[in-house]
Amino acid sequence: MAYQIILRTEKDLPYQPISLGSMEWNQTGTWRYLRPRFDNKVSPCNEGCPAGQDIESAMVLIGKGKILEAWELFKEENPFPAVCGRVCYHPCESSCNRAEFDEAVSINALERFMADFASKHGRRVGLKREKRKEKVAIVGSGPAGLTCAYHLARMGYGSTVFEALPVLGGMLRVGIPEYRLPKKILEAEIDQILELGVNTEINTRLGEDFQLKDLKEYVAVFLALGNHVSKRLGISGEENWAMSGVEFLRKVSLGKGVPLGKRVVIIGGGNTAIDAARTALRMGAKPLILYRRTREEMPAFPAEIHEAEEEGIDISFLVSPVGLIAENGQKKLECVKNRLGPPDEDGRRRPVEVKGSNYFLEVDQVLTAIGEDADLAALPKKLGVQDSMILTDERGATKQEGIFAGGDIIHQPHTVVHAIGSGKRAAIFIDCLLRNQKWEGVMDAIRIGERGSLSMRRYLQDEGEREPMSSKTVRLQDLNLDYFEPKKRKKTTKVAMGKRLGTFEEVNLGFPEETAIEEAKRCFNCGVCNLCDNCFIFCPDVAIRKENGNNVIDYDHCKGCGICVEECPRDAMIMEEEGK
Amino acid sequence: MKKIMVGNHAVSWGVMLSRAKVISAYPITPQTSIVEELSVLCADGKLDAKFIPVESEHSAMACVIGASAAGVRTFTATSSQGLALMHEMLHWAAGSRLPIVMANVNRSLGAPFNIWGEQSDSLSQRDTGWLQIYCESNQEVLDTVIQAFKIAEKVLLPVMVVLDAFVLSHTAEPVDIPEPNIVNQFLPAFKPEFRIDPQNPRSFACFLPPDFFMEFRYKMQNAMIESAAVCKEVDGQFGEIFGRGYGLVEAYRCEGADLVLMSAGAITSTARVAVDALREKGRKVGLLKLRLFRPFPKDEVLAVIRNVEKVAVVDRNLSLGLGGIFAHELRAALCNEKVRPPIYSYITGLGGRDTTLQILNDIVYQTYERSEPGEQSVWVGMRG
Repeated sequence: MAYQIILRTEKDLPYQPISLGSMEWNQTGTWRYLRPRFDNKVSPCNEGCPAGQDIESAMVLIGKGKILEAWELFKEENPFPAVCGRVCYHPCESSCNRAEFDEAVSINALERFMADFASKHGRRVGLKREKRKEKVAIVGSGPAGLTCAYHLARMGYGSTVFEALPVLGGMLRVGIPEYRLPKKILEAEIDQILELGVNTEINTRLGEDFQLKDLKEYVAVFLALGNHVSKRLGISGEENWAMSGVEFLRKVSLGKGVPLGKRVVIIGGGNTAIDAARTALRMGAKPLILYRRTREEMPAFPAEIHEAEEEGIDISFLVSPVGLIAENGQKKLECVKNRLGPPDEDGRRRPVEVKGSNYFLEVDQVLTAIGEDADLAALPKKLGVQDSMILTDERGATKQEGIFAGGDIIHQPHTVVHAIGSGKRAAIFIDCLLRNQKWEGVMDAIRIGERGSLSMRRYLQDEGEREPMSSKTVRLQDLNLDYFEPKKRKKTTKVAMGKRLGTFEEVNLGFPEETAIEEAKRCFNCGVCNLCDNCFIFCPDVAIRKENGNNVIDYDHCKGCGICVEECPRDAMIMEEEGK
Repeated sequence: MKKIMVGNHAVSWGVMLSRAKVISAYPITPQTSIVEELSVLCADGKLDAKFIPVESEHSAMACVIGASAAGVRTFTATSSQGLALMHEMLHWAAGSRLPIVMANVNRSLGAPFNIWGEQSDSLSQRDTGWLQIYCESNQEVLDTVIQAFKIAEKVLLPVMVVLDAFVLSHTAEPVDIPEPNIVNQFLPAFKPEFRIDPQNPRSFACFLPPDFFMEFRYKMQNAMIESAAVCKEVDGQFGEIFGRGYGLVEAYRCEGADLVLMSAGAITSTARVAVDALREKGRKVGLLKLRLFRPFPKDEVLAVIRNVEKVAVVDRNLSLGLGGIFAHELRAALCNEKVRPPIYSYITGLGGRDTTLQILNDIVYQTYERSEPGEQSVWVGMRG
């Protein structure tokens, strides 16, 4: 490469001060004392997804029209993208850096889009490892239990899922109404899990039909019983005249008749209350929600509240029930008005009764939805049972070796996506346990950011195969915003209001393909190189080279000026001191 | 097609007709409307060029240096403080032998702060290796921009086209716009021998030790000297095609003159009127318009003034401690000639003060009256 040109006279010199040959022999990289490096970091959406889905990579794939590949990426982590794409409260979107810039990327709708697309194309996932002999018992077929079964199956383990009800799916099946999550969508995803070789035993309740000690043939147990017992209001007449919201939803889901009447009052401010009210509405009732605090303190997801109000459901704030009586077959609910007092231990302002403000509502049915508890009576205390909850460690393991727990019965937010995350985590650490692997090192290698999300894809990679992953999560201020322009978030289409009532047809219709691709392209790809080539374009020393479709740094010539790092739009490069 | 346009737009249209590919500039009064018009021409798709806004004139010049080295036709424009800020990059452009064309709208340099016409800004840059051409009218401005690209690409030195603040830049005149396809024939696409190419890496504007540096300067000096002939040739070709030629200098009514006024830029127009009136009165006065300043067209100048009795130079500029710059350039050019007229130096019109017919008459009569030119420039049109 290097050769010498002899210039003897003025005439031998070019008219311009340029070298006549390549100057690559001059290794200007020796001048460097700071070194740029490609360094992929954690996208906030990935960190924010309790199911650990690689959302950022999926956005790249959807943007390129590779929708099935994006779906497969999601399926690596979560067996329920079609479900989550409909009912997840999408903490990924509240973590999205675009939320601070203009509007979050519509990740939830895109998840649904790719799942529906994959379903339309009949796409299935297969096993990741050879079949093994060991079998695991899973108690409860909700999102936690089935996710655990799915991942164990893909890792080669057999399992039996014990379900107390006559149907699989837990709260997904008997808690979330049809208009939000159609049964056929749920069943399709459950079928895909069962296809991988998962046994199920329905109508088999722990404590009645079997005991924990009967599960000796299984090498490990995952407990995911769920919270199916409604909390009591503790008012007079409740036992006789009120019905629990979860029971109501369960009966409707199972096709059992529920006498409702016209004037239905739902007590509570959570998602169950909203689901019960919207279900009652569809059954011809005129529901009214009573909530003891104000809209600010309502624990239900804002989008759900909004859709309920859109459908014409009234919510009375600052009202508490006092007692329920029946006179001549007419039910009357005595209520009292509240004002907000000082905040209580969870930071929300406590309702304080306004003396003498009592009034009566004539009602046909009262549904209570002030929270649910687990029924853990069948579990031995030595597992770590405390207040209808099981104490678990970082892995989701109980105090008894080989017994793990997840879903709503452990200390974590009661959401579908947290349940899925806990099921996956249990599968990973059951595998670790059965292979006698030290779990702490594994945890460090597969952690996504700081909020407990884990990557199954990384777990299944060999140690040498895993790309080094920074623990840093990229925030808006880490991006070079000169390269991004505000762009409106795409909205999904919904069934017209007039067509919603009196039917349980799905309300949200999702994205068409072109819209989805366009929306995915709004993604900043925070912290992850998407080959935008800014480094290649800006490098004054042409020291970014193309190798096998990737950009690599030519350290023989890179002077360490740092322009590439500065001009990287997405914080996918860093500068380090030389020699470190 | 004739169009009424200000001098600044004449620059922009000249650049459009020359099909520059990269334009980078920072706005400064009185240059601003040049780049405003160019950005509009780019945005409207009338000019297929990359318009790169930058944060300073230093960057603007750095930007066009890079683009020019990459092998495309480039343009920038500035004035006064902006040109001063570019100073370092002017050397890099010339030393790299890049055919960049720049318009400079003559404006005084602060302090005191002043935005009006004066030639000191461009003349302060006379040693940077840029050719300098001073224009008298908006038509000449447009034509000179087109010529400048052709000259620059032949001699591989950058060219500065200079026009007066406001008197030309913001004053509208009819300008004949040449047909684009004819301009294309006159000024074909820029095809440099060397350009930045990652497939064929070279070092540009590279480091040179003492064993080679002088040779490069020697080549540059030769190129600069030879460029006068190129300017003449290009102007001649331009005249054949478009019917308008300007020469390196222009002798106006110099036949049989005993006194010749020398000026550059828009003052020349006023001087034409002054000379006409003085000729009417029987005075044998002529006018020498200096169009090319760098390189200094000594032979052309000498041919006009060798045998006149006196030359009066009108300098709208000042080299502090020396005097009028054109006068001193002329004195230096002639000093080894056996036969040469005495050079009378006058300073006028600094900071945009009008150089009126009265002032020019005053200069002529003073020159007739004075027996010796003296060492110092004489200041005319002063208060009181």
